[in-house]
Amino acid sequence: MLPGLATSVLGVIIPLLILVPVSFYKFRFPTVIPEFTLTNYVGYIFSAQTASILLNTFGLSGLTCFLAFLIGYPVAYTLTFKIRNAVLKTYIISLLMVPFLIDWSIRTVAWISVLGVHGFINYMLSSAGIEPIRLLLSPVSLYVIWLQTYTLFMMFPIYLAMQRIDPDYIRAAQVLRASPRRVQYDIIFKLSMPGIVTGFAFVFVSTLGDYVTPSLWAGGIQTLGLSIASYAGNYLWPQASAMSMIMLVMTLVVMYLLVTVGKIKKLLYER
Amino acid sequence: MGIVDNLLKLLVIAFVGLIYLPAVLVVILSFNQSSAIAFPLTGLTLDWYVKKPVGYEYAALVSLLYDWGFWDALRNSVTNSLAVAALTAVIVTSSALALRHRVRGRDQLFYLILLGFIVPGVTLGLGSTILYSVLHMEYSFWSVVLINVVYTVPFGLILMMSRFDPDLVEYERAASTLRAAPISVFRRITAPLIRWEIISATIFGFLLSWGELIRTGFMLKGTPVLSVYVYTQLSVNPLTPKFYAMGTLISAVSFVGLVILGFLLSRGAGGQR
Repeated sequence: MLPGLATSVLGVIIPLLILVPVSFYKFRFPTVIPEFTLTNYVGYIFSAQTASILLNTFGLSGLTCFLAFLIGYPVAYTLTFKIRNAVLKTYIISLLMVPFLIDWSIRTVAWISVLGVHGFINYMLSSAGIEPIRLLLSPVSLYVIWLQTYTLFMMFPIYLAMQRIDPDYIRAAQVLRASPRRVQYDIIFKLSMPGIVTGFAFVFVSTLGDYVTPSLWAGGIQTLGLSIASYAGNYLWPQASAMSMIMLVMTLVVMYLLVTVGKIKKLLYER
Repeated sequence: MGIVDNLLKLLVIAFVGLIYLPAVLVVILSFNQSSAIAFPLTGLTLDWYVKKPVGYEYAALVSLLYDWGFWDALRNSVTNSLAVAALTAVIVTSSALALRHRVRGRDQLFYLILLGFIVPGVTLGLGSTILYSVLHMEYSFWSVVLINVVYTVPFGLILMMSRFDPDLVEYERAASTLRAAPISVFRRITAPLIRWEIISATIFGFLLSWGELIRTGFMLKGTPVLSVYVYTQLSVNPLTPKFYAMGTLISAVSFVGLVILGFLLSRGAGGQR
């Protein structure tokens, strides 16, 4: 128990707590001055771009979650109920991890070979006599890259939840002549709900914290993570900390949902 | 139902295909003769891997074998990931075993560990940066390791706990009832039963830190690790097949690791379900 506690406190809790006071400090070039001020918050909230940045951030992450669900749910369903061979199942899950584990930058630039002006898709199109289209440096490329990376985070918790559905429930419903649609919705979908909530939470926070991919491929769209990273890179720590507070609040909301609705501990222990 | 089933299986295949397409194209294009990332290929060559540089070439044109920065970063990454993997194994195993018992503070510990993954990388990176500066501490090998371990442990924990044998506690209790000392219960009962899970968590910790950039990027100093090296190289150089050759080599390590992981996990899966 102790090693887990020690690393979490040292590596997570203390670095996060230090953001709280710093977000109230003044910044006078080139250093941070420990005097109380609210300007970091007030300035950010009343800044003209803030609303659109937050809207972008939620929009991009939210839509990615939803698309990941549309792909992840059927994939998890197929793995659980349609593939009987346990060894094959394990290999498929391992193979799905590959894109997530490939080097961050390489994974991103790899898409140039697919989506670029001279990439695979446009090569196919031009062979068919169609004009090349711009796919890179647009939200489309961002969604594609995020989905390739993070759909796994949606699929895996749903898969864990589905694994725990007692097959007897399904059999009982079928014996009682429930329509296939009701079995799908009332039993499988509803009992997968903790996994679905967990999946949404995992994909949401992962895309929220990923500033590298939007900086490269969103085509100039600004996000909250990107703002924090660029302020932090310029040593404007108080402003960056104040923005991080917004992110931390969202994180705590997500954590709360994981604990209450997602019942994440039930996915792993407490049988 | 037959059609639906086949459609679903097709979807899984299509999904695997889609997420592999870029990786496959990276490997193919790393052998391209021209320096452009473009189809069709102009010819096949190994130049991007092994060609001896003739003079002062742009970094983007020097072959992988003669890119000293790459090899330094590779060495750095290997030691870093090995340390992360070892620490991940110890922390995950001890935490996972503790979490099975109904002890006080169990849920809190679990949520605390999970927080390392839930907190957005950019926030944690910023907090750590400020912390080191306040304490007047230099970034070191261990600061990179720590920020990675915090991230790999939740994954390892989820992976390990989702695969625990539900009867493991019973076996341990039986051994304790027969008056086996705690240390020998662990050595003779627990460890043999979960050794594949421990090895899997170790490999997973290695692979996760092998490609991590968002958190690691904040702890940059001196010789970078691979992910940081590739990122900085790509921000100042044009993209040439040389970087795809780099990607092929780096990804090959991940891929071999995952095949081993799949093999280990499916060993356990054969017995269950």
